[in-house]
Formats: sequence, structure tokens, C-alpha cells
Amino acid sequence: MKQQRWLPWVFLAPTIAGMGIFTLIPIVASIVLAFFHWDIISAPEFVGFANFAEVAQSPTVQVSFLNTILFVVVAVALQLGIALGLAVLVTEKLPNWLRSFFRSALFFPLVLSAASVSIFMKYLFNEKFGVVNWLLSLLNIPSVPWLTSPTGSAAVIVLVYVWQNFGFSFLLFLGGLASIPTETYEAASLDGATGWRKLVQITLPLLSPTTLVASVMAIISALQVFDQPYVLTGGGPGDSTRTAVMVIFETAFQRLEFGQASALGVILTIIIMLITAAQFRLSKRFVFYQ
Amino acid sequence: MASKVGAVGDITRRAALGALGVGVVGVTAASWPRLTAADIPGRGDNSLSIVIQGTKADAAAREKLVADFNKVHPEIKVKVQAIQSVDWKDFFVKLLTMVAAGQSPDLVYVATEGTQLFAERLAEPLDRFVQRDASVLQEYFDDVHPSLVEAMMYKGSLYQLPLDWNAANMYFNTSALKKAGLELPPADWSHLDFRNMLSSMKQANGSDFTPYYWTNRLFGGVVPWLYINDTSFLKETKASGGRWLWDGFYKNDPSSKMRAGGSLWESPNALDSRVEESFDFLRGLVKDGLGVRPEEGGGNSLVGLFASGRIGSTPAGGYWVEGLHEAGMKEDEFDVSFFPKWRTQRHQFGTAGYAIMKTAKDKDAAWEFVKWAASKPAMEVAFALPTTTPTRRSMVNEALYSGKGPKHWKVFYDTLDKFPSTGPIPAPPEQAAVETALIKNVSLAVSGDQAQLKNAMKSLERDLDLALGRN
Repeated sequence: MKQQRWLPWVFLAPTIAGMGIFTLIPIVASIVLAFFHWDIISAPEFVGFANFAEVAQSPTVQVSFLNTILFVVVAVALQLGIALGLAVLVTEKLPNWLRSFFRSALFFPLVLSAASVSIFMKYLFNEKFGVVNWLLSLLNIPSVPWLTSPTGSAAVIVLVYVWQNFGFSFLLFLGGLASIPTETYEAASLDGATGWRKLVQITLPLLSPTTLVASVMAIISALQVFDQPYVLTGGGPGDSTRTAVMVIFETAFQRLEFGQASALGVILTIIIMLITAAQFRLSKRFVFYQ
Repeated sequence: MASKVGAVGDITRRAALGALGVGVVGVTAASWPRLTAADIPGRGDNSLSIVIQGTKADAAAREKLVADFNKVHPEIKVKVQAIQSVDWKDFFVKLLTMVAAGQSPDLVYVATEGTQLFAERLAEPLDRFVQRDASVLQEYFDDVHPSLVEAMMYKGSLYQLPLDWNAANMYFNTSALKKAGLELPPADWSHLDFRNMLSSMKQANGSDFTPYYWTNRLFGGVVPWLYINDTSFLKETKASGGRWLWDGFYKNDPSSKMRAGGSLWESPNALDSRVEESFDFLRGLVKDGLGVRPEEGGGNSLVGLFASGRIGSTPAGGYWVEGLHEAGMKEDEFDVSFFPKWRTQRHQFGTAGYAIMKTAKDKDAAWEFVKWAASKPAMEVAFALPTTTPTRRSMVNEALYSGKGPKHWKVFYDTLDKFPSTGPIPAPPEQAAVETALIKNVSLAVSGDQAQLKNAMKSLERDLDLALGRN
């Protein structure tokens, strides 16, 4: 047995090496770079906390981080709400074969490239030539400037994002629902509980560990939204759909301020960590384990 | 069957691990060229590596060009690599990443959008090469309009020989004009004539018809409307220098005295009253349903809509001709005119050519390719179809547009000849950030009321200040 102590490390080595090269080194490099001015071509120059001060004062950065928080609130609420609702419906009402079909169909958008989906949606939501406005015109509803007005573009981005991502939360909820013992429902039925009371008093509390995992993952993902606003609106009109990661991208690759972009990345990482920590702390009150 | 299963079961764990190890080593060895990126064209040998914007097919299409070059210079190996990108901004981002990774090419095909970025940071001035080979190049300069050459100058030095270019001209769908009882406008038409034409087209065509479609970007968006109003969103000045070129190659050109060392855009100009006036004109078109609220994106996506008769007019360059032809438009179904006049009739153009990188391994070899690419035989191979406008006046002829149209194809080169003040895309070294600042405020400016327009102009001024690194 003693001779085989090294064996687990052999199997772990590729993963550790991959994590080191592709995750840890970039993280450390990014933190270090946040304290330098670097334009990709000239030599980096140490500037202390100047990058953090610079980005904190930028109105575009402030607006984009606020946009991101608003996006997270709306998109995650919709994503989890729709996913939970559909998971409950599918579990309750449908036969197995139809449940399998919906499981695949609802998960399918997640495997598509977000950029491709967004390009496709851009055509659908075009104000003059898009299918969506054409359908609305059949109902005598006037043309909506979906991608060229602040409200319309924000709505489309949330819609496209939620459509593409709720499948993952849906699968998590399906798994969570399957793990709730049927005896609990049977006992509640014997006590005369209605479907609504079973949902509120049994399903939701017993699903809370799954909800915690789903919400943590959904919030982390939504905080990093990039593809949909980048392709659909480019962050416009104005800054109305500009998100934190878009500003990081623009700061690095359009303004060539890699130090400031790294500082923004560090700030976003800290925000994500704080929100996640808060979720786990709050979970002690709201999450119930059987 | 049992014996076979037994045979597999007889393999020891040590043997299995050994086999796995051998497999891993084998796969690693086989993919070594990919892992070390040695399979990238031009890597690991002394080839002249050229990067262009486009697809792998675009790189393959240049094989004939490379083959012809090798007939003249068999000693210079050439490899062409295409970088696929949404637009020039995206292309420069990818290229800069290559440069940062230590994989700088020798030559890059760069448009006006990137000329000053390259000139300031990456490219080698061509002055000494051009002066050395002046006798060979005189024929090229005689055939190319000086405005195009001046657009490739930065602070008195020349960085590229322009090979293809396009101005923002106005395309019309002739069937939409006919329905409205209109003719192609005269050369000296005004922006108010344009507005009246849009109104007539709107009345005569169906509800799903759009009189004017424009996109929100640096070329062909709001800028032509600023140029004809004798202004721009950046203050434009001219760098000193460049006399070595104008007094030498263009000494007989009547406009050579007004030429200098290239344009400079160093400060914002969004609060100029004429800028607001131009934006307000476009706002009026949007408000009255004559033009769309502009979206981001290139004009290529519009080809199908224009060809199907759902768009009446749009700004585009000669690059649109082949696309419309391939979309099934006959040569008399579309036509092109100058951009309308306001205070001036100054047009906007963009041009492109090869830039030699400062890091090029063999700059003399790179120059030989640049010089050869600017020769007429090479340009005839490179620009055989009207997918763009060649910079040589002699090539913009009836043969290029034969069977494809438009009827008034002469408009393309006349834009330079008849309007000598026609100017390049306002693209300082900070072009990407400047374009982002412009795009993000245009749609706000033209989509609301006067107060929103004024706020958008203030926001544009502030964003441009930031983009230009002035605060």
C-alpha cells in the first residue's frame, strides 16, 4: 500500500497542471497586472492603486456595474422561477416519455453557442424586418424598437439570456424534485393538504438545498454576462445594456488599458465572492435539509 | 469468447498504465506541431508571413497572387494567414494579441481604421523604400489619387501603399425610385432634396418598405452627414511634413500644395453646433419614419433586403456591387450617386494596403512584396471583381462593372476627382475606443427629443476625451 501512495498524484497531475497553467497563473497574473499600466506592446509600468482609482471614477464603469446588478436581479429571478415552475409541472403532470422529451428540449438552448443564438435573435428582433415585429403587426401592435431603445434592448437581452440558460436550473430542480420522498406527499395528502400547500410547505422547503446551488450558479453566471449584450446591442443604446464584463473587454482590447481591465476583473471577482459568501451565510436560515 | 475476455483480464494494472503512458507520449508527439503552434503558416521557416482579414478561403484566394510574386522573386517564400473577424476593430484586437504573444507577422493588410494605430506602434515607415525605388513607383502614384496616399501618411511618413478603397456613396433601389416617379438625383443635390426623395419613396412604396437604412458604425453611419456639413465629431488637423512625397511624385498634381503629412484627430468636437445640426437632421428622418434607428453592424447584412426591394437607399461603397449582383440584382435595378451636398459635398472614404511590421524579419523582402502588390498586374489579379474599388484609376473602368452595373459606376472614382477635400475615416491611433464612444451615443442622439440629443452630445464629448486619453 505504501508503494502506491504516489499513484493518486499521478492521476491528479494532469488536472493540477491544467488548473495551474490555465486558471491559477492567469488569476495571479491578472492580480499583479492590476497594479501596472500595460498597453500590450510597451513594457508594463508599476502604478500602484491608480488603476483602481481610475476605474472607480469612470461613469461608464459605474453604469455598467449597476446594469449588471439589475440584470442579475431580473434574469436570475426569471431563470429560477421559470425553471422551477416547469420542473414542478413536468414532474407532476407528465408521463415519463414526455418528461424525457421536455428535459432534452428545455436543456437544448444551453448547448448552443451564445454568440450564434444572439446573431439569430438580432434578426428576429430587428425593428423593421424582424419576425417578432411582423407577428405583432398581425395583432395591430405597432413596431417596437427592440434593439435600439434602452428598455427594448434590455428586455431582449434578459429574454435571450433566460431562454438560453434556464435549462440548467430546470435540470437541477428536476433532480431535486426526484429526491423528495413520495411518502412525505402521501402523508400530507392524508392530512388533506392541497396541491398549493404541498408546494409551499413541502416542495419548496425540501428543494431549498437545490435552490441554493441553482441560485449561486445562476448569479455567478449572470454577473459574467457578455455574449448576448455584446452581439445584440454592443452595450447600447448609450450605456443602457453595457455590462461589467463588456467594460472589461473594451478596456483591455479597445482602449488597450490592460492594467485597468485587470483591476476591473479583480473588483468583479471580489463582488462575486462577496455575493456568494452572503448567499451561503443566508442559507443557514433558509435552507432545510431532510 | 471466454478466452478473449480472459486475455483482456490477464493484462496487469502495470501493463495497462504502461500502455496508457506510451499512448500519451505518442499522442503528444503526434500533436507536437499543434501544441507548439509550429503548424501556423510561416512559423519555423524564413517565409514572409502575411496576415489579412478574412477566412481561410480568402487566404487561399491569394495563392495566385503569391504564385505570381514568386515568378518575380522565387527566393522569397510567402505564407498568407487569414484572421476571421467581425470588423477591422475586431481584427486589430486579434492581431495585437498575436503581437503580444510574440507571434508578430511581417506584413499586415490594414485599412484606414488601423493605419495610425499601426503607424504609431507597430509599422515601419515606407519613406526610404519609396524614395529608393522612386523610378518604379512613379507609374503607381500617377495612377492613384493623392487623397488615398495622404490617408496612409502619419506625421509626415508614409506607412502603406493604398490598394483598394471605398467612399460612402448613396445607393438607390431604382424600382423604388420609379414607383415614386423619381429619377436618380443630379450630382449637386442637397440633403433637403434627399429628405424629399425619402418622403416620396415612403408614400409610393408599401408599409414594409424603408426609405433610408443606415448602420451605426464609423464608416457610412453618421460621419458622412458630418462631413457634408463641414464638420466632424473629432477636430481634424493636418500634420506637417510629407513634402518629400508631394513635391516628388505629385509635383504636377494641382492639389499637391494642399497636401501635408496626414490627418490628425487629437481632440473631440462633439459640442460643435454643426455636429448637433447633422445629428438633428438624422433624428428628424428617424422621427418621421423616413430612416431607421441605426443598429450596430456592417452593411453586408443589408444586401439581401436591398436586393428584395425593401430598402430604398443606403450609403455604401463600390464593395457592394458584386454582393448585389450575386443577390440577383440586374445592373439597371440599382444605381449609385454622390452623397448629397450641405455646406460642402465632402465625402468619407476608407482605404487599405500592406503595412510592414517593425518586427519584420526581412524588411527588404517585405518591401518587395508591397511594391509588387501595388503593380498593375498584381492588382488586376487581386481585384478582378467589384468586391471593392481598386485605387488605380485606370482599373475602375467599364470592364470591371460589365454586366453588373451600376450605370453610374464612374461616381466611385469621381468622388475623389470632383471633390478633392473628400477625407478619410476619422481614425486616430485610439480608433477602437473612439468608434465605441461614437456608436454608443449615436443611437441615443437620433432616437429621442432635443434634450436627449444634447445629452448624447455631451456624453459623446466626455467619452471621446476618455478614448483619446485626454483626462
